Amino acid sequence: MTTSRQIALSCLMIAAICLAADGALHDALAQNPFGGSRAAPDAQVGGIVGWLLTKQSEFYRQMSSTIRAAKADGSAVWTLLAISFAYGIFHAAGPGHGKTVISSYLVANEETARRGIALSFVSALMQSLIAVLIVGIGAWLLNVTASTMCGAERVIEIASYALIAAFGIRLVWTKGGGFIRALRSSYGRSGPRLAPVLANAAALHSGHDHHSHDHDGPGHHHHDHASAHATVVHAHGPGHAHPHDHHHDHDHDHVHDEHCGHSHGPEPAQLAGPGGWRRGLSAVFTVGIRPCSGAILVLVFALAQGLFWAGIAATFVMGLGTAITVAAIAVLAVSAKGLARRMTASREGSGALLMRGIEFGAAGLVLLFGVGLLFGYVAAERVTCF
Amino acid sequence: MRTLFSAVLAVLKAAGVDALMRRLINLLSASVVLAIGAGTAQAHPHVWVTAASELIFAADGSITGVRHAWIFDDMFSTYALQGIATRKKGVYSREELAPLAQTNMESLKEFAFFTFARVDNKKQKFADPIDYYLEYKDAALVLHFTLPFKVPIRAKQLALEIFDPSYFVDFSLQKKDPIHLVGAPANCTLAVQRPSDGTTIAQKLNEDTFLNGANANFGAMFANKISVDCP
Repeated sequence: MTTSRQIALSCLMIAAICLAADGALHDALAQNPFGGSRAAPDAQVGGIVGWLLTKQSEFYRQMSSTIRAAKADGSAVWTLLAISFAYGIFHAAGPGHGKTVISSYLVANEETARRGIALSFVSALMQSLIAVLIVGIGAWLLNVTASTMCGAERVIEIASYALIAAFGIRLVWTKGGGFIRALRSSYGRSGPRLAPVLANAAALHSGHDHHSHDHDGPGHHHHDHASAHATVVHAHGPGHAHPHDHHHDHDHDHVHDEHCGHSHGPEPAQLAGPGGWRRGLSAVFTVGIRPCSGAILVLVFALAQGLFWAGIAATFVMGLGTAITVAAIAVLAVSAKGLARRMTASREGSGALLMRGIEFGAAGLVLLFGVGLLFGYVAAERVTCF
Repeated sequence: MRTLFSAVLAVLKAAGVDALMRRLINLLSASVVLAIGAGTAQAHPHVWVTAASELIFAADGSITGVRHAWIFDDMFSTYALQGIATRKKGVYSREELAPLAQTNMESLKEFAFFTFARVDNKKQKFADPIDYYLEYKDAALVLHFTLPFKVPIRAKQLALEIFDPSYFVDFSLQKKDPIHLVGAPANCTLAVQRPSDGTTIAQKLNEDTFLNGANANFGAMFANKISVDCP
């Protein structure tokens, strides 16, 4: 694999991340009620988003009347559960519910689709449990007002955003190391000062680069390095001793490119080893600590109707629906990464670099998302207390 | 962003990256963008408000404020009443609801009372709300309050919008006579555009009347747009 391609690839990865961040920021800015003018948004209301919104609203609004009906006719509880399940499925396609965090976590780490499904279900279960606990303790046990409960929700919300950001920092820290190591082993370990010069040389003489694969041909080697050396001389403008030095370095570099591309980045087997579940639990906790405001409203309403148990059942069924959607998205993310790995499998050096780059990007996404939520740049389903 | 992207593409071409790589990269960047897009996808409402509002005119023909009556949906009404002590079960007097109304006013301030007024594309400021109270009627909470303009509006045209930019609250105008002009000069006309039907009730005005800036966000798609013309 040639160095020039690796440069291009890393450039693209950065561009992709920038593009994504740019898009996220635009979305975030669009939330500002006093933001600048944008294109007429009517086109968006239709389409999938509009349909999802309509469906969710329909299901959600049916819940209150169904709970009321269940007071007189117990069989309406089954209708309630069916509606809650459908609502959960549709609702999770919207913001919150940890799709971004869970999917990014799975991509950042060498996780399996199976574990992605498990994480989605456990975090949805935790979300439901927290909602039941808040209403159970707050409204049922202590009979506090809605604004007190909502205040508690807000505190949890902020804590959860901070947790996402902290989780992101940790992921970026660990994944950044792997990414830098992959970069180093691709570009050579000839020292930080020389690396860009060598990269530059290779980029300028990409026509010759394909020869560098032929390790055993000394003639080829000579040819290749002669051209690289010319550039180096231009860049440094040193005396005679240098070209020889560079020749040596370059040679060394290629050995590493072929053999160290893999061993320097973390192996999949290492990552999915023991302790993986504990790591996964931090993802679950980060996501699951924040309850869905819809569930809290349903629970309080059910409690007021004297059907708290029906509200609890509805909440858990809702969580089940949510888990299915989140799991589907998580599996999609993991398969996309698997596809990327298969497509780059034949290119050892750059393949590893690309995979580390994707992981680093996913880690950065979690951090960006957490910080965005914390400072209000990304409006998730915010808790509105009034 | 576009320039950076084309620069990267140029580097790519120069470097001779083959088709497979490019396809792979497209796929990856698309999935990243998709993931972010899904992450920042917009909320859906948890609270429904049926609004009826009045525009209050002074004797000199200027508009002094907006008086709202917002009916909350069944579920939210019940939720909001949680933990409020009453003398008689299920009956809430205005006095018993006064602390909640106070909380409402304090909290809604953060959201600019979901009421946005513009004259010549300039945002108009409201003073703190007055005459606010809650009543419990037909198993629903109704929030009454008046937002006085800091400076009474003397312009020929006022554009008013009622909506939640984050769409946590869905506002819909009351079906019949949602907006009243109180004490308005005889030549004033009113136009109301609801978000869902996409048609204006009074056909006097076209889309340009409404300020383009108001479309700046997602919730605005669900905005109720009111325009008052006093030529």
